[in-house]
Amino acid sequence: MSRPFHPADQDPVPAALRGFARAHADLVQLHERPTHLVAKQRNASRRVGLVSGGGSGHEPLHAGFLGRGMLDAVAPGRIFASPHNRQVLEASRKAAEGMSGVVHVVKNYTGDRINFGIAAERLRLDGIEVRRVLVDDDLATESTETATGRRGTGATVIVEKLLGAAADTGLDLDELAGLGAQFTAASRSLAVASRAQTSMHTGQPSFSLEPDELEYGVGIHGERAQKSITRPPTEELVDRMLDEIVAGLPAGPDEVLAVVNGLGGTTQLELYGLHELVATGLEHRGLTLTGALVGTFIPALDMAGFSLTLTRMQPEWQPWWSAPTVTPAFPRTSEETA
Amino acid sequence: MPFDQEAVLRRFATAAADAHAELTALDQLSGDGDFGDNLRDGLQDAVDRFESSGGAAFAVLGEVFLDEVGGTSGPLLGLLFTEIARALSTDVEPAVAWATGTAAGLDAIQRVGEAQVGDRTLVDALAPAVEALRGGGLADAAEAAAAGAAHTAELRARMGRASYVGDRAKGQPDPGAVGIALLFWSAATVTHPSSDLPPPLPSVTRRAPSAVNGRTPPRAHRT
Repeated sequence: MSRPFHPADQDPVPAALRGFARAHADLVQLHERPTHLVAKQRNASRRVGLVSGGGSGHEPLHAGFLGRGMLDAVAPGRIFASPHNRQVLEASRKAAEGMSGVVHVVKNYTGDRINFGIAAERLRLDGIEVRRVLVDDDLATESTETATGRRGTGATVIVEKLLGAAADTGLDLDELAGLGAQFTAASRSLAVASRAQTSMHTGQPSFSLEPDELEYGVGIHGERAQKSITRPPTEELVDRMLDEIVAGLPAGPDEVLAVVNGLGGTTQLELYGLHELVATGLEHRGLTLTGALVGTFIPALDMAGFSLTLTRMQPEWQPWWSAPTVTPAFPRTSEETA
Repeated sequence: MPFDQEAVLRRFATAAADAHAELTALDQLSGDGDFGDNLRDGLQDAVDRFESSGGAAFAVLGEVFLDEVGGTSGPLLGLLFTEIARALSTDVEPAVAWATGTAAGLDAIQRVGEAQVGDRTLVDALAPAVEALRGGGLADAAEAAAAGAAHTAELRARMGRASYVGDRAKGQPDPGAVGIALLFWSAATVTHPSSDLPPPLPSVTRRAPSAVNGRTPPRAHRT
């Protein structure tokens, strides 16, 4: 039993968003009714607004990536729930000001697809051009039997970073939508958990696991994985995950980006130890690591576990990964402007 | 003759209130049971907003369903109402406007919801009505929508929450499709007061025009 420290008797999301906006008042502006946040700075070379959003409980995604070099506006939903189409609509209207249109970065979940889709229809009625980049990297949900497709998980931060830098080179809507689809297609992820996230209502884990059990292929909304496995030593676990992810990647260059992402209840000490295993594991497989993010970027509240994401990098994408950002949460920040 | 949007809105609101219990029961078979509430309350809110602030009745209806109505089907219906409103605001015959508006609405709903004919959704009532409007009038569309809605009883859901329950909802029509049939029935009976179109659900009463033009009865409860 470990109850979270949310303000009493309140939906935790609005309070957290107000605190977030206060803490980063130089970078973001919070609007309510409907709830959305807008970056206060954007590079002058940008011609297309970048908008994302999705359920809360995955902080710092997406609001933490608002700002120079990344997103222009975001629509946060309630915990693990899609934002309303009005939130996406208002966020997009703000992001579209002075731009030739907006690109929506959408994680592949039915609710997000529908609500972003309705907002896109309304934007078109307003005369605002919209393109969608659908992020669907989670190998655990790859199935030919369902029409829903792979879930969107860890690759989202990579897509938002690369697309942001690409947008700052002045590319147009169709060029960015095409690139976003390529970034997503070049990315695969897999996640494991040793403990479920704490239920906001009961203070108990949302599902229970034996000490020697792992959820293998877990999602970011507290849903169980399709299988539980007996927990192997960590080296073996990382090896198995890398095997599956590398096999799942499309053919391409041997240069890769890696994201070692904590699911909310995993320490930096663990994550950097995991990254060391990932880096050596990639070397053994003949792959060259050209960039890495290690930390908590897309958690499932306080779930104990981690996800690994790999993206095969085209040489021309590399400068976009290295380009500076000024956002609340992307780790490599810089005061320089791109 | 200008098309009486307000009368259609009011009749649709009355029909949805009459059908509330049946729509709720249908949605409980396959969804979360809120469709009857969403349709009835959304329509009543649209009537209230229209009375307080005016404007074109279908534009108000579209706005309310896009902004305020919950569930997935609420905002999808909002897209349809908005397209109908846009078409009715142009300078063409009402029948042409309905054909254009409902076709654009169907396209938008399919772009967003990705449902095809045969997936047991509101598209199964809307697509035949759009088709009927290509050569016919609103009465033909109402018949086609009612037949399409009735046919969903034979279908298995592939989209939406109903897809989780497999064949369990078979034998009963999809509530969203019935909602579409109610819209076309309302439009047709207002446009052709002398027609004897049967309502798509037995519980919907065929009111005399005088009653239809009055306020819809207050809701028993709001959710």
